Amino acid sequence: MNARGTRRYVDDLLRGRRPKPFQPDDFEAAQIRTAIELRAAREGADVGAAPRQEFLDDLHRRLAEQMAGTPPAAPRMQNATRRQVIVGTSAAAAAAVAAVSIDRAVTDHPTEAPAAAGELTPNNGTWQRVAASSEVLDGRMHAFDLGSVSGFVRRVDGKPQAVSGVCTHQGCRLWFDAPDDRLRCPCHSTSFAPGGQVLTHQLPIAPKPLPTLMVREADGTIEVFAPARPDQPA
Amino acid sequence: MTARNEPVRPRPLRAVPDSGDDDGYTDWEAVYQDNATWVYRTLFARVGNRADAEDLTTEVFLAALRPLRLTASVGEVRAYLRATARTVLAAHWRETLGREITSIEDIEQPADSEEAISTAPQRVAQVLDRLPDRYRQILESRFLQSNSIKESAAELGISVANAKVLQHRALRLAAQVNDGDQP
Repeated sequence: MNARGTRRYVDDLLRGRRPKPFQPDDFEAAQIRTAIELRAAREGADVGAAPRQEFLDDLHRRLAEQMAGTPPAAPRMQNATRRQVIVGTSAAAAAAVAAVSIDRAVTDHPTEAPAAAGELTPNNGTWQRVAASSEVLDGRMHAFDLGSVSGFVRRVDGKPQAVSGVCTHQGCRLWFDAPDDRLRCPCHSTSFAPGGQVLTHQLPIAPKPLPTLMVREADGTIEVFAPARPDQPA
Repeated sequence: MTARNEPVRPRPLRAVPDSGDDDGYTDWEAVYQDNATWVYRTLFARVGNRADAEDLTTEVFLAALRPLRLTASVGEVRAYLRATARTVLAAHWRETLGREITSIEDIEQPADSEEAISTAPQRVAQVLDRLPDRYRQILESRFLQSNSIKESAAELGISVANAKVLQHRALRLAAQVNDGDQP
């Protein structure tokens, strides 16, 4: 029991001061709850029920600093390594995955249209063969795995296109559901169009679309621009 | 020699259309402008003082905005902000009084609706209704009209010492009535 703490807490509420911590018992907690509700039943900015403009402006400034500052952290990396992340061995590729799964929260020029994600452009990439030209047909997703990067390549109007095969949510490996013409994530039921756009998800916040990969066709082979495997230096 | 496209900036995606008014937000500032007031009011209704309400509102937005994806719909963003506020408020009570005094409930209504922000006015009206007149008067005078103890005593025609005792007893009874109402 702490009658004095309760009295002081209620007194602070009445004087509009910040109340001080103490350890109330059940009944004292009930009195504090009731006192809070009594104070909260008033209306208007002058009694604190609505935010002060100075407070809103000041918080706006603090948020602007935060959002303009350091690049987004990548707290998911530890989590992702426990899952079926297929790029964990390459630092460059791991950074690329972190960048797509922890995207920037600020986007300057939003559009309504289904967006493309960023393109995966490794700092030190080489063109690597992922398939023979004859293996990649219109309307078919051809899976490839280069060790550092895995994904799917297909043809659109004859030209090869490639997307990452790693879910942008937590890094699970996607599989191609041919009858439904979509890439599916085994972890959280997210699905992506062959072009990388999110089709369905059950997450509180929509995941990013899949990053595209640079791809070319030369001498009867399809090649993707990807970081060299760490065990096979370029 | 390559089929490389021009680099594209990441753009938001309306992946799974929500029902209703939902085009999402264009940037974090739009999220802040549209939601700061109801987040603050939701917290004020549960701490009863401006200093704590401002601190907790600040915590909610500092924690919530950076990981927020703008591809989310307005409804999803609001649900996420309310969930963040719930966590922040629970931590506040753990740290200050060691027990949960008030909470942000899981409800069906939109997070920015009056029912979601605060039910304090209705609850208080019900409690005051069930108190003896003198008890109701001292609580109205002190808590709702913010009169000083001296002013309240004068209003009720009693001494300051008696007004203090009356307020103390009135709050105890109100707390019993109020807690009896809790589900």
